[in-house]
Amino acid sequence: MNTFVCVKRVPDTSEAEVKVDATEKDVDSSKFSFDINDADNYAVEEAVQIKEAQGGTVQVLCCGPQDADMMIRMALAKGGDSAMRIDDPRINFSDPLQVAKVLAAAIKEQEYDLVLTGCWADDDGFMAVGVALAEELGIPHAAMVKKVEVEDGKVKAHRELEGGISEVVEITLPAVLTIQTGINEPRYAPIRGIRQAQKKELKVLKLDDLGISEEEVSEDSSLIELKRFYIPEVESKAEIIEGEPEEKAEKLAEKMVKGGLI
Amino acid sequence: MNTELQNFIEKYDLYGCIQCGRCTGGCPVTVRTNLNVRRFVYDSIDEDALEELAKLPEIWDCTACSTCAVRCPKGLKPLEVLIGLRGILVLEGQVEPTVRDALESIFREGNPWSKARATRSDWMEGLDVKVADPETEVENLIFVCCTVVYDPRVQVTVKNLVKILNKADVDYAFVGDDESCCASEAFNLGEEELFEMMVEDNTELLNSFKAKRIVTISPHCFNAFKKQYPDLKAEVLHYTQLIGELLEDKKLEFTKELPQKIVFHDPCFLGKQNDVYDEPRFVLSQIPGAELVEFERNKERSLCCEGGGGKMWVESDSKLERLAETRVKDAHALGADVLAAACPFCILTLDDALKAKGFEEEMKVSEILEIIGDLLEE
Amino acid sequence: MSNIFVLVEHRQGELRDITLEMLTKASQLAEKTGGETVALLLGNGVDSHAEKLTGYSDKVLYMDDPLFEDYNSEKYQKALVAFFKEQKPYLVMMGHTAQGVDLAPALAVELKMPFVTDVIDLEYVDDKLQPLRQYYGGKVNAEFSFKGEPPYLVTFREATLEVPEPFKSGKVEKIDSPLKEDIDYRKFLEYIEAEVGDVDITQSEILVAVGRGVKEEKNMAMIEELASAIKADICASRAATDAGWLPHDRQVGTSGKTVKPKLYIAIGISGAFQHLAGMKGAKTIIAINKDPEAPIFAEADYAIIDDLFKVVPKLTEKLQELRG
Repeated sequence: MNTFVCVKRVPDTSEAEVKVDATEKDVDSSKFSFDINDADNYAVEEAVQIKEAQGGTVQVLCCGPQDADMMIRMALAKGGDSAMRIDDPRINFSDPLQVAKVLAAAIKEQEYDLVLTGCWADDDGFMAVGVALAEELGIPHAAMVKKVEVEDGKVKAHRELEGGISEVVEITLPAVLTIQTGINEPRYAPIRGIRQAQKKELKVLKLDDLGISEEEVSEDSSLIELKRFYIPEVESKAEIIEGEPEEKAEKLAEKMVKGGLI
Repeated sequence: MNTELQNFIEKYDLYGCIQCGRCTGGCPVTVRTNLNVRRFVYDSIDEDALEELAKLPEIWDCTACSTCAVRCPKGLKPLEVLIGLRGILVLEGQVEPTVRDALESIFREGNPWSKARATRSDWMEGLDVKVADPETEVENLIFVCCTVVYDPRVQVTVKNLVKILNKADVDYAFVGDDESCCASEAFNLGEEELFEMMVEDNTELLNSFKAKRIVTISPHCFNAFKKQYPDLKAEVLHYTQLIGELLEDKKLEFTKELPQKIVFHDPCFLGKQNDVYDEPRFVLSQIPGAELVEFERNKERSLCCEGGGGKMWVESDSKLERLAETRVKDAHALGADVLAAACPFCILTLDDALKAKGFEEEMKVSEILEIIGDLLEE
Repeated sequence: MSNIFVLVEHRQGELRDITLEMLTKASQLAEKTGGETVALLLGNGVDSHAEKLTGYSDKVLYMDDPLFEDYNSEKYQKALVAFFKEQKPYLVMMGHTAQGVDLAPALAVELKMPFVTDVIDLEYVDDKLQPLRQYYGGKVNAEFSFKGEPPYLVTFREATLEVPEPFKSGKVEKIDSPLKEDIDYRKFLEYIEAEVGDVDITQSEILVAVGRGVKEEKNMAMIEELASAIKADICASRAATDAGWLPHDRQVGTSGKTVKPKLYIAIGISGAFQHLAGMKGAKTIIAINKDPEAPIFAEADYAIIDDLFKVVPKLTEKLQELRG
């Protein structure tokens, strides 16, 4: 089984204060810590587990700047065999369909059985690149996969639906699966492993190396446009509910039900 | 598998062990877990057994308190065999997710708490803090500790330290933005190569300052710098030693009364591992009105709180009473108003234990800096 | 004609709420520019859905075909591609759901549609349709615009609108499915229900978390009633698992689990840093604690600073009442 796994370097903004920058199309990332997108980390582990069970190779694929190399080496340390990083400022990251085109160009000439991506990215949350990639490659797919069972020439994928139900589908290979968090427990990449991974191949490519033209993936040719970022108005963090204890309870219950929290 | 089974025999001098059992006899966690470190020393002689031994859950019960090493008549360090076994799992990438996250965080962000490196100095906001610069000589270079930097429960310790240093007009400076984890816990969790990497980077950083002494808040950083960083130029002190000096030289005086009964819990990494028993007691003794009492298990017999050795990231399966709870019970039985310690991990584990035992109304767990920070003249 | 098509999402005999939410939004949009709202229903023998949809849509186009017995993205895609090529809608809406994200991007690529996902609002700005979505877990809003020609495609987030009482009297029109044969490269096999009693709190949507403040194990019964009323799983801070009220695999925190539920209700939890680290990813946090200084309040979205023994039973009672 030869697997491609697509990884993305994203900031951890769960605790950080996020500020929009002067361009209004990006955020000030100076205080962020960056790491591999959570769902992609699970995808890497899944790819490596499949390789350990079935044999074959795992190739790591990333669109990103040089800062992403450490993240890629960590993925290689976990069991990846080689990597490609596509570093080109012309790639338009605000359009997932264009990112998918770039990834497809890197993959389509290669030998592969399976492509794994995380099902969403912690930064933009598009949830589109993986499935768009499948369409670009002309192969079947399944999104939000919580369990993968590899069989001969096909794969059974358990898709996670709302309410805890799983939908089991069988798709022929080659295929794209977008992986949901929690599918496995990602291993630790020890420092020794990361050092050894320095010897594995990490090719850095530009659009021209992939045979795509700038027009296909640049902002100009995108069918959508990011107009601006802005910080939504947030009420002060905790809404303190007042009244007698029983009143507070009732008010909270109403908020929970009417606010669709439950 | 990227496992390289170290020659344990050589590395840990296993043939030196006479199986006397003093290690297990003194090991504090044996009351609540299956850990028998003597057996591990013996069993690890068989290289083929190492993989299986590494899978035993009790190797994660060790707190690295080092009672075993302190007691060993042959000068061996039995705990390091356990750390070595942890290292086997580390190399296979098969450690608990909580351990994985702590180690990855140390590597990427310079702290085990998954906090962004860029926020290292956020605690300084609003305070008058002197930060070191490599060009200027300084007597006391202060190294904070990741847990004190990021955990609000113990952040008060460094804030009070700043107050004290400013008040006593001490020649000091803090390491600042580039400060990174001492990695003591990375070592104890078995990630030796991460530890070595941090030792190299931190040594270079700390040596780049023209500092006479490095003063730490946590005994874990203190122990690491003193014993595991071979190339540090500066002398290494724990803050209680510095405060002790200031009190002796009358540069600092506690003017407010605190008429309370205080019992001091000797942190393992300060006390039994480094023989610093007197200085914290001296500092407490200078508090007007305070009555100091002692645990029966004090000084080198201090009962480990189970905060070290990676325990902040690994839970034991044991259903038996935590050692910290025993300690809190003992303090309560002594009628203490304050259970004092001089270690952020001790404070966190003892505080949790205080709550679990329901003694919050009757007793407080306090870091020495928490207590004395309020006793200075305005 | 600016017709807005909403792909109906249904499963195991249930019409999913997102469909009605989208139709509500669609009709708000259609009012501004004229044009019809059309509910597009692909299914097998789901006439009752079609009927219900007439209350929310000008038209219900119903492809009633055994091939659509169960959702299959490849089958839906084939049918919709053919259909949209012919119909040329202005806007197509799908749920930003497990189904929607599995289908929409592929459709967008094949038909070269201007496409934005996880849209939380749509409005006309200078006569141009502007979708709004969020980045960074909701911390940033992002306004997009469509540059190309319609049909536009969006996946629309669940629970952004309240669904009103039926407000239309639409007509059902059965149409032929363009899908004439089965496909074999993707097959639906089965649904598997969630396992009961085997709780992995890291995957829970709603969590009720207990801490020291609950005081004794016998008080867990009160917590269990609350959890049961809202179909929540129960987790704990270290104090509670220490005390043995819950097994260790329910502990949230740096030496326990990290959870990311939609809703986290922290009861009697002070919010020690190590605990917060394990639940900071929760979407909405409710905290009930009598200590106004409890650090948990700094993370909470809703706070009740009061005696949990007075609040929780009443909360459960009211929730049971409201949910009927």
